Amino acid sequence: MNPIAPIINGLSITLKHMFMKPVTLQYPSERPKVATRYRGLHGLKVSHSRAKCVACYLCPTVCPAKCITVEAGEDSSHNKIATRYEIDMLRCIFCGYCVEACPVDALKMTGEFELANYSREDFIYSKERLLEK
Amino acid sequence: MVNLIINDKPVTAPKDSTIYDAAKINGIKIPILCHDKKLKPFGACRMCLVEVEQMKGRQIPACTTPITEGMIIQTATPDIIKARKLVLELLLLNHPLDCPVCDKGGDCDLQNLTYEYQVNSNRFVDSKFQHKIDYNNPLIERDMNRCVLCGKCVRICDQIVGYGALTFIDRGIETKIGCEFEDGLNCEFCGSCVSVCPVGSLLARPFKNKARFWALTKHSSVCGYCGTGCNLTLGVKDNKVLTTIYDENQGFHKGQLCARGRFGYQFINSEKRLMTPLVRKNGNLVEATWEEALEIVTARLRGGTSVAALATARLTNEELSLFKKLMIENVGSKNIDHSGGYAHSALTEGFTRSFGTTAAPSTILDIQKSDYLLVVKTDAYETHPVIGFEINLAVKNNGVKLTILSDKRGKLSKLPDARTAVHVPGSEVAVLNAICKSILDQKLISATAASIPGFAQLESALAAYTPEAVASQSGLTAAEINQIAIDYASAAKALILFPTGLAYAGHNAELASAVANLALLTGKVGSEGCGVLCMNEKNNSQGAVDMGFYAQEDGLNALKILDACTSGAVKTLFIAGENPLASYPNSAKVKSALDAVECLIVSDLFLTETAARADVVLPACSYAEKEGTFTSTDRRVQYIKPAIKKIGKSRTDFEIFSSLIVALGGAAPASPAAEFAAISAVTPGYAGMTHTGLGVEGCFAPVEVKPAFVVPQSAATPVEAGKLALVTGSVLYHNGTLSQHGEGPMFVCPDAYIEMSRADARNKTIIEDDLVTVSSPSGTLQLKAKITPRMPEGVVFIPYHFPAAPVNKVWSGSAVTMVTVAK
Ligand code: SF4
Ligand code: SF4
Ligand code: SF4
Ligand code: SF4
Ligand code: SF4
Ligand code: FES
Repeated sequence: MNPIAPIINGLSITLKHMFMKPVTLQYPSERPKVATRYRGLHGLKVSHSRAKCVACYLCPTVCPAKCITVEAGEDSSHNKIATRYEIDMLRCIFCGYCVEACPVDALKMTGEFELANYSREDFIYSKERLLEK
Repeated sequence: MVNLIINDKPVTAPKDSTIYDAAKINGIKIPILCHDKKLKPFGACRMCLVEVEQMKGRQIPACTTPITEGMIIQTATPDIIKARKLVLELLLLNHPLDCPVCDKGGDCDLQNLTYEYQVNSNRFVDSKFQHKIDYNNPLIERDMNRCVLCGKCVRICDQIVGYGALTFIDRGIETKIGCEFEDGLNCEFCGSCVSVCPVGSLLARPFKNKARFWALTKHSSVCGYCGTGCNLTLGVKDNKVLTTIYDENQGFHKGQLCARGRFGYQFINSEKRLMTPLVRKNGNLVEATWEEALEIVTARLRGGTSVAALATARLTNEELSLFKKLMIENVGSKNIDHSGGYAHSALTEGFTRSFGTTAAPSTILDIQKSDYLLVVKTDAYETHPVIGFEINLAVKNNGVKLTILSDKRGKLSKLPDARTAVHVPGSEVAVLNAICKSILDQKLISATAASIPGFAQLESALAAYTPEAVASQSGLTAAEINQIAIDYASAAKALILFPTGLAYAGHNAELASAVANLALLTGKVGSEGCGVLCMNEKNNSQGAVDMGFYAQEDGLNALKILDACTSGAVKTLFIAGENPLASYPNSAKVKSALDAVECLIVSDLFLTETAARADVVLPACSYAEKEGTFTSTDRRVQYIKPAIKKIGKSRTDFEIFSSLIVALGGAAPASPAAEFAAISAVTPGYAGMTHTGLGVEGCFAPVEVKPAFVVPQSAATPVEAGKLALVTGSVLYHNGTLSQHGEGPMFVCPDAYIEMSRADARNKTIIEDDLVTVSSPSGTLQLKAKITPRMPEGVVFIPYHFPAAPVNKVWSGSAVTMVTVAK
């Protein structure tokens, strides 16, 4: 085989790519388009300006990573609410079982994927941080 | 035994079984919703439908149908399954389906059955109930929207608890479970109804929302309150005892508990628990290390006979035995005691001389096997409610006759055909003597009685106690006394019960001998359903006596120890768990003793009134954190193991005593099990017992009776014009002073009060909730008045559990105190 041919071949591929649209995403100036069913940060859904979660304890039960902490309580009209709802994102494996288990469709997984933080405590998402804005 | 065929399998079952029982015995499951083995069959829900060939294949309820010879039964044909599904569909029609917010989710019979039978849709439509939810009391929430009308709550409250707070009201589709005037539940809050409710209609509010049933670890244990020794299951999550769980297979009482057992567990994880040792420096208690605290204690314990010890009868047998060893072998002092020194005297003095043993010769199981019960004081229900349930069952189900000899009426007096002989406070020994006398006079004694030592002396001493003579001082009639004598003596089996405790100063050795005489005269000891049951106050009162943790030989008893503290003879006092300032008679005297003693060492769960005066405070552990054994009032030795890890830096008393023994140069046992081996080797009746051998059921320590007649000295009943007779005692919701740290007991009964008759209230123009001043020679006390029909004129009652309003300010240890009561 002609020893030059592979080099030419290689260079032509390189040359071709110089004029093609780059495949890498220029993050952070460019943002990815997240798929609709992407499993990112959790969100607690809100309805009638209050969290839909009724603190049924099913998501902490199903969670294989045991990273959800729920404490239930009552509001003034004896409705059951979560007085504490926390997810430890360091342990979460983003399986989405919690969303599937929720009997009242109170939980979702958002497209939010930028979960880096500086300290361990900041990975524990409290109810306030999880409530959908 | 009856032969029958269930699901094509030939089986046998006892004659009195229902189809459901027969199937259960043979391992065949029939679903139930309204049936409970403790309650009478009801047949309300129709979940248990089965087909019986002899009844032409009709579907009949298994829980109410008795078996007959040769029955051929099918329990799960397609038709039956269809019928059960229909039952569930109809129940779910009006049921709110709010499992996510219902606390019963995960432990709900309706939920489980719906899942099992896959009832996913409903062919019918109807509106849901809109009943108002009862949030009126802090312990039990009643949501009748979820009710399936199984009637279990109604039946348990009526059949076992004997309160009757709940009933069906309205008719047809409107039917619901209601209480008095539908005005919010106000009952004795035993929680029995909550425990049997198959759905989330009745919920325990202290546990509500805390956790799901499946997230709890279940630890079986023994109740830490009274001497009944009920078994219970603690529900634990994250090292916290969150609730008690009902288990119908537990104990003689089949899972039944009283208000304090069921709702009084919060002291275990109380915020107020002591977390570290405290040492007094410059007059203040400051936190210290264990080494520092134990060093001070060790130095002080080198005082020989100038050291004394008081322990609570809530410690385990192993701890009490070790404490005794520490005091006698390592410290060299015999000054040890518990329960004020008098609350155990019925056993340690009374039964010792009358029965030759320090234990009651009967068990709680005898109650239902008896024919006649003589209960001394209606308080027997308040002090030991679950024994009260047994009495109730005996009277209602077995037709056992009940007579109560008491200074006031009470719940027991309301049982069907119960007779209450209300006597003048303090005259019970005289009355019992008169009953003995009447038995002698009517020649009702047993053939063997005359051969028991002391018979002649008793016969001559009783001459002074003719029913006529006693009638005048006791307020009873001679006919009443004679009637009790006849009823008691003529019953084939008869049992006498009486409570003891710190508040029952009159229930002492004399009373014990008086009842023992009665049983011995008529030969009613030593056989099934007969005898005497002394109902001890604390969970391990009997154990403390069995371990010999009381003053013997030349040792000082509790009250003498306190005197010796005042006089300076005792320089170091080590109190493990007792709170004498709140519970012993005459608080002023206790206070001066505790102030006078050079060094006061207290180990306790809480900084009690007594601990607050200590020089060294050691944080101890509750029963849920330790291993050991408790001995119930009828000598059931039961094993407990830790349900949670120790709180804070607390240590068990076993560890504390072990370290002190080592520090004083002795050898400590390796574990509670090793100490128990030492105990079983020397304690009468405990021979052969081991921790592992006790199992979940526990073991009865047999009691051997060597009978003798003793002449009981009756006290003169005090009478003073214008004054009222004060009797002290226990209330249903409390036990000792520990229940002050239980939320349930404190919700229902937060303060002390003075209970008086309507007549006295009228005379003194006192109305309900008035603040009245009670004064006696030892002090005065202000209390709220409670006016009840159960008190006889001239008698007032004050419960003793409350350090905030301590009855021992006006009560100095006599059975009856004359007090003036004024607005
Ligand atoms: S996504 Fe999975 S691991 Fe993460 S919280 Fe939900 S159930 Fe747990
Ligand atoms: S499953 Fe849903 S309702 Fe239940 S606790 Fe989780 S988020 Fe709340
Ligand atoms: S708590 Fe006890 S007394 Fe009250 S309604 Fe229930 S069963 Fe009856
Ligand atoms: S409240 Fe509970 S126990 Fe009572 S009838 Fe209704 S479902 Fe049965
Ligand atoms: S306090 Fe006594 S009667 Fe009540 S549950 Fe405990 S052991 Fe049983
Ligand atoms: S369990 Fe038999 S009818 Fe309810």
